[in-house]
Parts: sequence; structure tokens; C-alpha cells
Amino acid sequence: MKKLLATLLIALMTLGLVAGCAPAQEAVEAPVEEAAEEVVAEEVVEEPIEEAAALNTVILKEQDDKMINTYSVIAVDPEAPFADADGNAVEDVAINTAGADALIKFLLSEEGLKLAGEYGVEQYGDYLFYVKEDAPRYEGEIAAATEETKVIRLSTTTSVNDSGLLGYLLPAFENAYGYTVEVQSAGTGKAIAAAKYGNADLILVHSKSQEEAFVEEGFARVLDGFEGERLSFLYNFFVLCGPSEDPAGAAAAADVLTAFASIADGKYTFISRGDASGTHTKELSLWPEELGITAEADSFAGYTDWYVSANTGMGACLVMAEEMGGYILTDKATFLTFVANGGVM
Amino acid sequence: MQSALEKAVELILSGNRELMSILSVTARMSISSSLIALLIGVPIGIWLGSCSFRGREALVVINRTLMSMPPVVCGLLFYLLFSGVGPFRSMKLLFTVEIMIMAQVVLITPIVVGNMESYVAAVALPVKETARGLGIGGGKTLLLLLNECVYQIFSVYLLAFARAIAEVGAVSMVGGAIAWKTNVMTTAIMQYTNRGDFSMGIALGIILMTSSLLVNIAISLLQRRVSR
Repeated sequence: MKKLLATLLIALMTLGLVAGCAPAQEAVEAPVEEAAEEVVAEEVVEEPIEEAAALNTVILKEQDDKMINTYSVIAVDPEAPFADADGNAVEDVAINTAGADALIKFLLSEEGLKLAGEYGVEQYGDYLFYVKEDAPRYEGEIAAATEETKVIRLSTTTSVNDSGLLGYLLPAFENAYGYTVEVQSAGTGKAIAAAKYGNADLILVHSKSQEEAFVEEGFARVLDGFEGERLSFLYNFFVLCGPSEDPAGAAAAADVLTAFASIADGKYTFISRGDASGTHTKELSLWPEELGITAEADSFAGYTDWYVSANTGMGACLVMAEEMGGYILTDKATFLTFVANGGVM
Repeated sequence: MQSALEKAVELILSGNRELMSILSVTARMSISSSLIALLIGVPIGIWLGSCSFRGREALVVINRTLMSMPPVVCGLLFYLLFSGVGPFRSMKLLFTVEIMIMAQVVLITPIVVGNMESYVAAVALPVKETARGLGIGGGKTLLLLLNECVYQIFSVYLLAFARAIAEVGAVSMVGGAIAWKTNVMTTAIMQYTNRGDFSMGIALGIILMTSSLLVNIAISLLQRRVSR
């Protein structure tokens, strides 16, 4: 009896696994069988599939000035006050300044800015990054790699790397000048921390307050011929997404602050990154001040019935928002990838 | 939309260059770390299982504690040691495959030792008694014991390999999941999932499980042949 039950259980689990792994396949097969007799019906077959993949989470608010998202590149200073995990000063930290200079100059060159500005149009039919009008520009020579300087360690945020921007930009730089750029990506908080531990030659991040702190602590370096440590050159907009029914009326709200206030008022589920990323920092700045929501867990302890601090990546948060019918602040690039994949396996 | 399975097959057939890089880094990392852990762990395990002295029990307990070391703790330790500000910064090992292998060896060796020890502890006594009865010396007794362990060593190797190939916490921390350099299957799956590209994650998962199956079949066949 027990054996029989166990066999049944295993058989069921296997079935579940197979069904779970290939939902799209089944969806394709079922209508095909029905339409098998009518060969002409092929076009009709495709429609229900697309509909099945349609997501409930949609963009509700975008292009709002409050949701502007500026990306800056900062070179790490080899003379910075580096300290080890115990706080003891460390002096001889190896930083590839020549490599960092070359990469920054490339990013700010006409070619680099043009590549960044046009990225996404081909793949998504939409601009993902815009070049800032007052972006610092570089017109001089860019030094080619030498044996000592050829490996550049770039610490950046997930939104830059995951959107595919770097995969689009860097090969042009690497092929032209002979460098190898090693990209580590994490939330802005962690990306900056990596630089403070001497594990990056430059950072490309998007959180003004955290960038300013980084500069103030003396970790940043001013490049020859440039003004200021923070070189802001790209921007895009965060988007507020949520269920298509939009119970909080966010889409109709006058601006994004009102939308956030009505989400909080109605206690509609909101998924927060909760990971000190640039997106998280931006989200924190959009809540009504009287709620007092900050990065500290204590600050939202009273809102756990609707405020979900997920502490995970953008993609995983989007799945959560879709599953829970919640609102979410996201960068547009990740959202478009998410939609392109149907939001499910 | 493609199903994950179709995507996996397509990825392999098309010989996607990034996938090939991920596969080769994964293979290099998991095979060398499991082999090194085996080379270190098996002799220690056999010795620990067959000898008897005061403090043996304490060593066994310490080893079992090390077996439960969370990978992220090990990763963090190596990250801090080899970081740009860490004591071993001049070695410039952070974000390389070598340091991933080192972290893995630290994680896996206790598991190899523990599994060998518990096996040897059970068979050592009869083997020793037989050897004494036949008048065989110490060195040959050890060889006899080793012979008894062959089957177990293969099983332990598979365990070590499984642990190495499935690990994600430590390798993502010390390796940095850098494309073309230190990105392995597990960290790539994590990256794609974070991007919201689940089908790619599943496709990689299918490839990972399939390659793991192939390795297991190969080693199991070898195990049967050698230990017969």
C-alpha cells in the first residue's frame, strides 16, 4: 500500500514538473489539434497564445520629472582613504587609473554617447537611455591598452548591465583599444561598496545621494580636463507599474507623488526592491514624508500588510508584482525584457 | 513564446559563444575543485576513520561543523581576504577562477573527509583484524583498506562534484559573476532570473542538469568497472 502511494506521488510530481516546465508548449499544441482540420486557421491559432502571455502588470506612470534616473560614472582615486574590514587604513591599493581614464573618455566621446543613446531602439522599439544635454564630452585621444592597464574593473548596477547596455557599448571600446572590461553588477549600494574595498577602477551608478557620499568620503578622482568627480551623462525614467485594473487610480493621478500617496492611502500591495539599489533609493524618495519609509526595516514595520520589502533583483520583484497584483517602481529596460519574455517561464 | 526546453536545445545546437564560455568555466571550476578536495580529503578521511587516539572524536566533531559552513560565509571570508584592501591583495586573485576553486575546496573538503571517515570507521576494524590474522604489516593493511574504499571514493567524488557544480553563494561573491571570465551556470541562472528572463534561466538549468547527468553516468560506469 505504501509503495503504491509513493509511486503515485512520484508519478504526480513528475507530471507536475513536465507540465510546469513546458506550459507554452502545451498551449501551442492544444489549439493546433483543434485547428488541425482547417489548415487556413493558422493565423487564428497565434492570437490566443499572445493573449495567454499578456501580463496584468502594465506601465501606469512614466516620463514624470520626479522619476528621472541619472547615471554617473566616477573614477576611483588610488589615494582614497581605503580601509579593511576592521577599519585599519590600507595604502597600496592597486587601481588601474589609466584604464579607468580610457573607458570614461570613451563613454563621453561622440561615439560612446551615440551608441548609448541609440541603444534599445532596435530591440525594443523604444529609447532606454537618453544622453544628457549637459553631459561632459571628450574629444581628444584615448590611450590604447598596455600590458599593465588592459584589465579594467567596472563596478556597476544591475539595471545598466541587465538592460544589455554594456554588452552593446563595451565591445566597441574593447575592440578599438585592446582593453578587457570586467563588469561586476549589483545594486548601487553594493556596487559602491565594492569600489570602497578596492575592487573596482571605476563605477557607473545611479543614486545621487550615494554618489555624493562616495565623493565626500574622498574615494573619487577628478580626471584631467574634466570638472567634478561625478560625470553624469545618461538618464532615463523609472516607470510605475501595477495591475491593469489600477485600483489606486495611479494612472489618472496628477503626478507620481500623488500616485504613491494614493497607493499608500488605499494600502494597495507595493513591491519594494529593499536592497539599497538605485531603484530602491528613488522609490524611498517618492513616498509621502509623513509615512517615514526609509531603508531601515523598522521604518516600515507598521506597513507590512501592503508594503513588501523583497530584497531581491528587479526581475524577481516584477514576478512578485505580477503574482500579487501589486504596484512596483522599475527601470524601463528590465520591464521591457520582462514583458518580452511573457513574465513567465 | 518558445518553451524553455526548445530554447535550451537551440542554445546548445547554435553553439552560443557565451554559453560555451559559461560551460567551460563551470567545468574547470567544478572538476578541479572537486578533484583537489578529493585528493586532500580522502587521505585525511581514511586516516581519521582508521586511527584511534585521544582527541579523534573532537576532530570528527570539528569536521562535521565545517561541513555545515554556509557557502556565503566562506565566500565573504575569501572576499575580504583577497579584496583590494585585504591582507592578500597583492596576489590579485579576487574575481578569478582560481579563487573560486579555493573557496570551493574549503567548502567541499570537510564533506569528503566526513563521508570517508564514517565509511572507514565501519570497515576498518574487520579489515584490521583480517590483516592481523593473516600476518600482514601496517603498510599493506592500509592498502587493503584503501582497496575496500574504492567504491566509496567514487560515490564521495560524485557528492563533491555535485556540491561544486551546484554552488552559487560563494562563487558569485568571490568570482563576481563576470561575463567571459568567472560566470558559471548557477550565477548565470541567477543573473537571467534577475533580468526577468526566466526561460533562459530554465534553459540553463536544463543544460546544467543534463551535463550533471552525463558526468554521473560516466563516473558510475567507471565505479562499477573499477570496483569489481
